[in-house]
Amino acid sequence: MTKTLLSPLLAALLMVGAATPLLALAQTAAPTAQADALYTALGEKDGITKLTDDFVNRLKTDARLAPAFKDTNAKNLKLMLAQQFCKVSGGPCVYEGADMKSAHSSMDITKTDFNALVEVLQVSMDANGIAFTTQNQLLARLAPMHRDVITVK
Amino acid sequence: MKHLKSALMLAIAGVSSLAGGAAMADTGKLLLTGGVSSIDGAAGGGLTPWAVIGTNATDGEIGASAFVSRAVSQDYSLNVMGAALGYKDRFEVSVARQDFDASPAIALNGIAAFGVQPGQKIKMDILGLKLRVAGDAVLDSDTLMPQIAVGLEYKKVDPGSIGSVLKFLDAKTQDTDFYVSATKLFLAQGILVNGTLRYTRANQNGLLGFGAASPGKDKASWVPEVSVAYLLSKNWVVGAEYRVKPNNLEDLGRAAGLGDALAEDAWKDLFVAWAPNKNTSVTLAYVDLGRIVPGITANRQQTGYYLSAQFAF
Repeated sequence: MTKTLLSPLLAALLMVGAATPLLALAQTAAPTAQADALYTALGEKDGITKLTDDFVNRLKTDARLAPAFKDTNAKNLKLMLAQQFCKVSGGPCVYEGADMKSAHSSMDITKTDFNALVEVLQVSMDANGIAFTTQNQLLARLAPMHRDVITVK
Repeated sequence: MKHLKSALMLAIAGVSSLAGGAAMADTGKLLLTGGVSSIDGAAGGGLTPWAVIGTNATDGEIGASAFVSRAVSQDYSLNVMGAALGYKDRFEVSVARQDFDASPAIALNGIAAFGVQPGQKIKMDILGLKLRVAGDAVLDSDTLMPQIAVGLEYKKVDPGSIGSVLKFLDAKTQDTDFYVSATKLFLAQGILVNGTLRYTRANQNGLLGFGAASPGKDKASWVPEVSVAYLLSKNWVVGAEYRVKPNNLEDLGRAAGLGDALAEDAWKDLFVAWAPNKNTSVTLAYVDLGRIVPGITANRQQTGYYLSAQFAF
């Protein structure tokens, strides 16, 4: 309840006050104060950037997934994933990438592919010392994307 | 009986040949999300089927699994082997053979001339069919909608020399259980919940036949079965199960002046399952099967262990 009331209020404050020093301070402080526990548990921006860098490196070398990612610009993918993970975990980020449906509509992606990607992400989260309970919270926010990502049903 | 036996053999042969081909055609379920093999062969927990479709096969794939299980209590023991085929994460066929050591039944000869042989085994074959009708237990983590499946278990029991006892009780030697299961993984919390409603007239799951003479219960009834599991890691799960039973025979025993000699209780277990890799899982449980024909086992609660190994592709 508090959260749903607070976020429009905060958004309004941030828009109106972007130019004033007082609210500029609030802008930097507010996201941390209001940040989702998951965003904090993932190590905020630094932790997430480390994770998505590692994740993309693993996607590029995973025997099952490397062929699908061989033409993907790793640097851009890392940036988009970092924005996306930051956003879904409640961090103060804007996701500038394509929506999941249009990003995957031209590809043949099965549930097996989707699950393989989940497994690589789990390995990457393990490697980055992210607790299993935190991993599941992030996965729970990403898993519903299966509806848009899986194109071969 | 013969048909089921050959089906079991065929299924196991199928699993081995699929296993050989598994390196080429990888199946894609996430670890443990196909459940383990229940004692009746259907994928689920140990004592109850879940709505998950067994094997590693997901959409568009065909998978197979095989298992062996053993349960031991104060007076009885049960060995089970079986196999399952999963088709496109939609349909599951399972076969199982149970071999129940009913040695204490020799004491029934003291009640009447039943002619029960020493060390008598009761064998039961089970053919299971399961259809997933809706939902995705794992990936739909933003809704409360569970995965839902309907299934049946056709059971045929061969009681050997205990057949005379089943005849006396008017318990039939074959019947079909019907069930509906709902399974939901609360992914963010790492908690899985399953509820199954089974329509059955099986006595002790069918090992003591199906139904009973009046005033015992001969009609099938709906009984609930519940499982709860907590994910400790990708490879380890702990949980508990509770399975209500119809208790068809108790009233018949009472009318015969045997008190609660034929009473049947709910089955309970606490389990830990370990999947070291995608193809293997091992389940160990503490089981409390309540009373099983308490009249010949000094009213003992049948508690003990359950160990099961599954290989899936």
